[in-house]
Amino acid sequence: MSLKDLENKSIYIIREAYAEFENPAVLWSTGKDSTTVLWLCRKAFFGTIPFPVIHIDTGYKFKRMYAFRDRIAEEWGMDLVIARNEAAMKSGVGPKSGKFECCTKLKTEALMQCLDKYGFDALLLAIRRDEHGIRAKERVFSPRDKEFKWNYRDQPLEMWDQYQAHHQGESETDGTVHTHTRVHPILHWRELDVWEYIKQEEKIPVNEMYFANAGTRYRSLGCEPCTSPIESNAQTIDAIVEELRTTKIAERSGRAQDKEKMFMMQKLRALGYM
Amino acid sequence: MNVHVVLVGHIDHGKSTLIGRLLYDSESVKDERVEEIQKLAEEYKRRFEFAYFLDSFEDELKEERTIDTVSLMFKSTKNFYTITDVPGHKEFIKNMLTGASHADVAVLVVSALEGVQEQTRRHLFLVKMLGINQVFVAVNKMDAVAYKREQFETVKKQISEVLRSFTFGTDTIPFIPVSALEGENIYRRGKGMEWYEGLTLIEALDRVNRSEVKKPLRFVVQDLYEVEGEKVVVGRVESGTLRRGDHVIFEPSGTNSEIARLRVFGSELEEAMTGDSIGVVINESGVQRGDVGGTIVNPPLPRQEFLGEAVLLDKKLERGERLELRCGTARVGCEIKEIHERINSETGEVLERYPAEIHEHDAATILFATKPVVVEHFADIPELGRFVLVKNGRSIGAGVVLDV
Repeated sequence: MSLKDLENKSIYIIREAYAEFENPAVLWSTGKDSTTVLWLCRKAFFGTIPFPVIHIDTGYKFKRMYAFRDRIAEEWGMDLVIARNEAAMKSGVGPKSGKFECCTKLKTEALMQCLDKYGFDALLLAIRRDEHGIRAKERVFSPRDKEFKWNYRDQPLEMWDQYQAHHQGESETDGTVHTHTRVHPILHWRELDVWEYIKQEEKIPVNEMYFANAGTRYRSLGCEPCTSPIESNAQTIDAIVEELRTTKIAERSGRAQDKEKMFMMQKLRALGYM
Repeated sequence: MNVHVVLVGHIDHGKSTLIGRLLYDSESVKDERVEEIQKLAEEYKRRFEFAYFLDSFEDELKEERTIDTVSLMFKSTKNFYTITDVPGHKEFIKNMLTGASHADVAVLVVSALEGVQEQTRRHLFLVKMLGINQVFVAVNKMDAVAYKREQFETVKKQISEVLRSFTFGTDTIPFIPVSALEGENIYRRGKGMEWYEGLTLIEALDRVNRSEVKKPLRFVVQDLYEVEGEKVVVGRVESGTLRRGDHVIFEPSGTNSEIARLRVFGSELEEAMTGDSIGVVINESGVQRGDVGGTIVNPPLPRQEFLGEAVLLDKKLERGERLELRCGTARVGCEIKEIHERINSETGEVLERYPAEIHEHDAATILFATKPVVVEHFADIPELGRFVLVKNGRSIGAGVVLDV
């Protein structure tokens, strides 16, 4: 798909979500994908994002991510909600407790608490099909039950651009009660598309960590203890685009939680991980 | 050109393996993924399978079958492909429809060992119903029949009969003998099949043509925003072109107005093309989500009755039942006024005329009575000629408009 087609479809999805749900929010990690989604939201609503932007703060993010977050939130006038699982952070949960527990407590549970508090019924998320085999199986509108579970064995029919909004508390015939719907506006984009789009748009801010410094750069941003850089000399967006055209290294190769065990991503996601 | 391909066919005829092979031979698979799959194969004490590139759920590996649809992307020297795998098991027809609904072309995969089976027929029926008219046939597992021409011809004959019964013209459909496992006639010419002089699968796909038929303007309204004190109607151009200054009729609200301005974030447009998500400023009020705009020359018309063909994914649907109908952004109440024909979705055979009810996996021609809604002949404007049926918040069926 051309960048124009990709953008048109994403804006259509974002507007559908806004029309169908009462209290949506968008998740922002400060990384390239979710910043692109924020930009697409601004395009969909002619400049202002009409709902809150959630940042899940594990306390383990890179300093440069926090700085970037605060600067852009200010510049774009966001209604920023910071989600932290304070109890777990105080009790010392961290990468040493095991990656599975750490991701679940500090990310998934922090998000659960935030949803509880604000009652969001839809979450816009910047996952893409080409990132991971498990994410490839997602729907554009994907319902979650009260345990945040993703019922991947029985996903809704989603034909053409008919996205089914599952409203809060709405009971399926099997008795499942939905708490929120995940909305995936850039599910159909590839990593290369994101960078080519950033290049084209010129106004999407990019964290400096994506650019090479002394022979390495980050290709995917996460928590400091579990994210490592890749070898690269790409110091500009053009150089990154060029690098991605030829690379055979996976995008999330620097993300420890995907790889600790086979199917860890599936298990994390079944429990509500993004 | 971008081409969206769906692979359909019976379970175990090798759809996932064939896609895995396409990805591998087009060098679209990351090294890490190959290593990961080699590890997986060891862990599960199985041989390395190309299907593992696609079947990412642990359950799919354990059960050795595809459960959910998945789309992957790869490039040939000519086209950019999105290729969709769908499950070949009857239980997962819902996922098959989800995957197939976006496709421009279909590749029917049939095992040279087993020939035509139940889902071969049902998938073809559904492909036809969804309006996918470009079909390719890959007769797979040729390695398992020692690449024998006779076996290929036998299976080809079987498939041709099924294709004809679903009114596909068989003369123009390529039949390609392949081995997904060994990679024969997919990217490279098949060893052991010197008797075959036709195209390889990738050559056939690279010749896909998408002829764009000129269609009238249909602008689907998603919402109304207030931007800097100005009312903006947002939506998408589903077909045709929308220009500033056009006189547009919005139905079913019946609003009639000149398009004063076309807006996108940060700028204004003179015209918007098919597929564009835009905002329009008009001088009249009354437009609603679910409205469809078109020009006076060929305006959209609100309907309260239409004939559709649909497939049912729920236990039962009865004459007189009330449901929600979704078409474009419209969501309206509808009633199953009459069921004209109950159709076997495997064979296309009419099972009953004017039945009181239909059952799971049945197809049917249905006369719908609806609140005013714009629907179009599927043959004329497919974007507004297809619908989804919703019951208790769950999509239970889908279909196309045959007549209005």
